[in-house]
Amino acid sequence: MGRPRAFDEATAVASAAALFASRAYDGISVDDLVNHLGVHRNSLYQTFGSKRGLYLRALRWHLDEQVRPALRRNATFDNGLDFLLLAATERAPADPEVATEITRILAEFDEALTAPATSALLGDHLRARLSR
Amino acid sequence: MAQIKIDGDQLIVEIEGWDKLWALKSRLEIPLANVRGATADPGITQEPKGVRAPGAYVPGVITAGTFHINGERVFWDVHHPANAVVIQLADERYTRLIIEVPNPRETVDQIEQAIAHTS
Repeated sequence: MGRPRAFDEATAVASAAALFASRAYDGISVDDLVNHLGVHRNSLYQTFGSKRGLYLRALRWHLDEQVRPALRRNATFDNGLDFLLLAATERAPADPEVATEITRILAEFDEALTAPATSALLGDHLRARLSR
Repeated sequence: MAQIKIDGDQLIVEIEGWDKLWALKSRLEIPLANVRGATADPGITQEPKGVRAPGAYVPGVITAGTFHINGERVFWDVHHPANAVVIQLADERYTRLIIEVPNPRETVDQIEQAIAHTS
């Protein structure tokens, strides 16, 4: 359906995840996304439907590609947990789909690490934001 | 200016006032299943709009009516870029609606919530 997309979707999603991890959702305009991702505005809408559509894709990518693999290997989170933390504090209360993703991943953390260890880990990552 | 409401499983877009003349179509009804998303996007008014379909045109005053760009048909009705909202569609006459609404943030939230897949 339609013409081939002139950009790499996976790269765009990863790049959006980095941007969404850096500052508040409302502080990122479509102009910012277009510039940062190097994707045409029309392609962005054609592929993701909306800014929120892209946000959800990016959040799920962050959880599936960066968080879950490290959790399974019991490894350190080299790519950080900023996106998860921002999504949990900022978007989850306003967006039920984000809340579902965050609830699910926190349950997986609890399962893998126990609830107190999860709280300590997230707390450490929260504090680490200050010392950068 | 447009008013947007959700009635059952339909998104209803009413074009108000004089814009009706320029835009030719004053009411659009779109099944929510064909709505892919909504985004507040003032910057889109700086983008090339493509070729305007036949109809009234007042240069520099308003952007309203049907435009064709890259094989897509886009409906425009924006006077004030700050209030521009982009509604992306699927399997509809228009690929995209770019319209001005009184309160973009509320409108976007309302549409996105209506089409959200909560599990």
